[in-house]
Amino acid sequence: MMNSSESSHSPYALEVRNVSHWYGPHKILHNINLQIVPGQIVAVVGPSGCGKSTLLKAILGTHPPMAGEILTEGKRVSEPSRDVGIVYQNYSLYEFLTAEENVAFGLKLDATSLTSRLISLPNYLRKRRNHLVESRAFLEKVGLGHAAKKYPSELSGGMRQRVAVAQAFILKPKIVLLDEPFGALDEATREDLQVMLLRFYQENLQAKIEGRIPKYTILIVTHELNEAIYVADRVIGLSRYHTEGEKGATVVYDRPCPVFHPDDPRDHSKFVDQREELRKAVFEPSYIKHHAKYVTFWNDLAKASHEANEPHATEAPEQ
Amino acid sequence: MIRRHIPFWLFVLLGVIFVLGLGAFYEYLAQRQYGINAQQRSVPGYTSIYEGFLKALKPQGSETSPRPSMLWSDLKATYGRLLMGLTVGTLLAVTVGVLMGAYRWIEAILSPVIAFMSKVPQIAILPVFFILVGTDEKMFTSMIAFGIFFTMAESVYQAARKDVHDDLINKAYTLGASDPEIIYEVIWKQILPRVLDTIRTHIGPAMGFLLAAEMMVGGQGIGYRIRMEQRVNDMRIIFSYVVILGLIGLLTDWALRWARRKICPWFGE
Repeated sequence: MMNSSESSHSPYALEVRNVSHWYGPHKILHNINLQIVPGQIVAVVGPSGCGKSTLLKAILGTHPPMAGEILTEGKRVSEPSRDVGIVYQNYSLYEFLTAEENVAFGLKLDATSLTSRLISLPNYLRKRRNHLVESRAFLEKVGLGHAAKKYPSELSGGMRQRVAVAQAFILKPKIVLLDEPFGALDEATREDLQVMLLRFYQENLQAKIEGRIPKYTILIVTHELNEAIYVADRVIGLSRYHTEGEKGATVVYDRPCPVFHPDDPRDHSKFVDQREELRKAVFEPSYIKHHAKYVTFWNDLAKASHEANEPHATEAPEQ
Repeated sequence: MIRRHIPFWLFVLLGVIFVLGLGAFYEYLAQRQYGINAQQRSVPGYTSIYEGFLKALKPQGSETSPRPSMLWSDLKATYGRLLMGLTVGTLLAVTVGVLMGAYRWIEAILSPVIAFMSKVPQIAILPVFFILVGTDEKMFTSMIAFGIFFTMAESVYQAARKDVHDDLINKAYTLGASDPEIIYEVIWKQILPRVLDTIRTHIGPAMGFLLAAEMMVGGQGIGYRIRMEQRVNDMRIIFSYVVILGLIGLLTDWALRWARRKICPWFGE
C-alpha cells in the first residue's frame, strides 16, 4: 500500500525529508533536507566522519534513517532496490563474471527469475544473448569494448571502476550513488573517469533539449573539492559546524557549480572562488555560521533561469 | 636466502632423487630383514609386494563360477561407500553452511553446535554409530556424512560470511536480485572454488573414518582386508593396497584441482 507521503508523480528523482540518524547516543545526521531532479549530478562533500557515508547508506536503503524519510520518485526507500544504483570505491565487482557478464548481471536479474532461468532455458538463452549485446554496447561507451571478456582480476583499477559504472547505469535506476568512486585511482585515471561523468552530463543536456527524461542522475560523495566542483552541477556540503545547537551534521552548503564540457581543457581557475567558499563554509570549525547562508541552490537556479534562457540539465521543478 | 628461486628442472630433480633415495633405503631395510629370516613378510621387498598385488588381482571363486578379484571387490566396496558418504555429507554441509552465511538467525541457531562438533574427533563417535545405525551399508554412508559434516559446514559458512562482502550483496539487491538469487547467483558462485577445495581436503579424513569403521565391523572393503592380512602378519597385500590408495588419492586430488581450474577459471591457483 502506498504511504501517505508517496506520490507516483513526484518531480524529484530523490527527496530527503527531515532525515536524522543516530549511532547509539551519538547523533550523526541532523535534519537533512534535499531534493534532486532527474539529470542532476550532485556532489556531496564534508569533513571525514561527518556522516556522508551514513547519508549514502540511508539513501541506498541498507541503513534507513531513524527520523525523517527518503523517497525516490515519490516511493519511500526502506531497503536496497533497483531504483537506487551504487558504485563503491572498492569496485565490488563479481569476480566470477567477466566484464560483460558483470554489466549484464542486472539485466539478467531484472528480466528473468531464477525459476524461469531453470525451467525455460532456451527462452533465457535468447534473452541472454540480447543482454550481452546491450552490455558490450555500454562497455564500448565507457571505453572498455576490448576488455569485455576479461575477469575483474585481469583489469586495472580504472577499468574495474568503468565496469562498475556501466553495471550500475545499464539498468537506468532513478539515481546512482557514487561512494568516493575514484579515491583509489591514480591521477590520470581519475581525470579520465571525471571526463566520463561530464559526457554523461552532456547526454543529459541533449535529452533535455530533445524533451526526453535525462538518463543519468548521480549523487557522488567525494573528499576532493576540485573533483566535486568539476564533475557536478551542484555541490552540497555536510558539516557539524553550524548554529543549530544540536550535534550531528546537516546541509550547510548547497549551491550550483559551473558546468564543464568534456572536450574543454580542464581549468581549475574558473572555480577557485567557489572552492575557497566551500572550504571555508564546510571544513572550518571556527567558521560557525547560520547554516542556511549557503543553502541557496534553488534560489540561485531560479535567478539564473530568468537571466539566461538557455537549456540546462537542471531545471527547478514546479512545486 | 629464504624463498630464493630455483630452476624448475632442479625442483623436479630434487623431488625425484628424494623419492628414489627413500625407495632404495626401504629396499635395503627389506633385504636386511630377509638376511635375518628369508620367510619374513613384515618388511616385504618390492618383488614380494608385486606378488601380493598379483594375488589381490587374481579372480576368486571356482572356474565354473568365478568372482571378481579381491582387490576389485574391496575397492568397489570402499570407494562406493566413500562416494555415497561424501555426496550426502557435502550436500548437507554446503546447504547448511551457505544458509548460515546468508541468514543471521540461522547462524545464531546453528553456529554454537557446529563450532563445538567440528572440534570433536569424529572417530570417537564411531561406537555410537554402531549402536544407533547398526553395522550395515547405511552406517558407512551416515558415518562418513556425519564425520565430515561439521568441519565442512564450518568451512563453507566461514567462506560464505567472509568471502562475500556485504557490498556485493547490497549491490545485487540494487540490480534487482531476490534472496534466492543472491544465495545462488552471488554467494554460491563466489564460494564455489572454496567448496571444491573443502571437498578435496575432506576426502582424506573421510577415508580415515571409513577405514577405521571397516576395520572394526566391515565384511568387505580395504579396511576389512588390511585387518585380515594384519592378523596373519602378511604385509605384502597391505603394502600393495597402501600404494593403490596413495595413487587413487593423488589422482583424485589432481582431478579436483583440474575441475576447479575449469569450473572457476577466475580463481587462479
